[in-house]
Amino acid sequence: MPELTQSVTDLIDEFAKLPGIGKKSAERLAYHVLRVHRSEALLLADAIRNVKENVRYCSVCYNLAEEEKCEICRDPRREQDVLCVVEQPRDLMALEQSGTYRGLYHVLLGRIAPLEGIGAEQLTIEALVERVRRREFKEVIMATNPTVEGDGTALHISNLLSEFPVRITRLARGITTGSVLEFANKEVLADALAGRQEF
Amino acid sequence: MNEKATAIVLRTVEFSETSLVVTLFTREFGKIGALAKGGRRLKGPFESALDLLALCRIVFLRKSSDALDLLTEAKLLRRFRPPGRELLSLYAGYYVAELLGELTDDDDPHPKLFDLANETLGALAAGEPVPRRVLRFELGGLRLLGHLPSLDTCVQCGTRVEAAGRVAFGQLDGGVLCTRCRHGMKQVVSVSAGALRTMTQLADLESQTWHRIEIHPRTLAETRSVLNHYFTNLLGRKPRMHQYLLQR
Repeated sequence: MPELTQSVTDLIDEFAKLPGIGKKSAERLAYHVLRVHRSEALLLADAIRNVKENVRYCSVCYNLAEEEKCEICRDPRREQDVLCVVEQPRDLMALEQSGTYRGLYHVLLGRIAPLEGIGAEQLTIEALVERVRRREFKEVIMATNPTVEGDGTALHISNLLSEFPVRITRLARGITTGSVLEFANKEVLADALAGRQEF
Repeated sequence: MNEKATAIVLRTVEFSETSLVVTLFTREFGKIGALAKGGRRLKGPFESALDLLALCRIVFLRKSSDALDLLTEAKLLRRFRPPGRELLSLYAGYYVAELLGELTDDDDPHPKLFDLANETLGALAAGEPVPRRVLRFELGGLRLLGHLPSLDTCVQCGTRVEAAGRVAFGQLDGGVLCTRCRHGMKQVVSVSAGALRTMTQLADLESQTWHRIEIHPRTLAETRSVLNHYFTNLLGRKPRMHQYLLQR
């Protein structure tokens, strides 16, 4: 039975390691790389190399950055006295895409998940507390995921920050705009009632 | 084959962009592992119900081989929400999930254990005192799974051991030891009669008198110490949540 060359097999194996990519998809991607122009294929290789060599965590907020500080931390136009705490850089990106938040961020790089062996010391919580201690933030917004572990992480952090004169808030939760009450589950309705606002 | 069950979510692991692999402890089928395609999406057949310790009504497709079952629907019945700003109840809830995950086998139903876990999570969320609830779950769970240490007869010779003064308790042997059998045994600790009585009452699932018993802080600490060692021996490692529960 004819076999592929070692280089092609290696490429397929590497693609197959990517999340959501099975053997068949890996083969398709490898054949695509073989088919396209050399310069285009090498652009992909260069992009991967650049990401691995140049991208690091921001020394202040732990967002992804190509310099010591990320773009947000370097931007003097951002509100310097509001801090939003998120679990991952992708959560930060989601909030940025909303276009309504103009403050600073702190990325935890995970959430406290004792059952997975992830404790507070493995996250950037110590750096966050130090940041709040050193700087005068008016408000810290907890934007961890609204899950048991996300809420637990937010609670742990808010307990640590309670000694500082800072307002601690969390993202609102409740009914999705455009939906109907009839089909909202009881937990969502309870949240919406508990967090109701002045009209 | 499509099955329906009531389940507690013990673990969720992200799988691909939108899917989850979940470990569920069901009342009808015991512990199962299932793939929830689209389980991370807000919209869909899972309605964000697949959160740790959530109680849900599920529909799933049983796989005949060793493959994961396929979860097709989950309706949230109750989300686990610890009261106030206290982390101890949350960590106790995690501990319930850890013990259910570690002490039960796949596809081995224990409906009474499910009811005990469900009741414990409800009580923790309602703000009931955590140490007592945790002990009740540990001892009740050990009894239902057949792991309860022998508390009134010598685990070696079967002689009745009077709960008076202090009694030898073999951590490795799994229960009390009479004066004749205790010699030469390893990891034997001395336990007060009060601690043994407390454990007996808390492990009695037929009675509700455990609600009313007074537990002296010293007895509580002693019982806690015995059970910490016992679970470490039973699992072959220290339970992950012990350090979190003991810090508080």
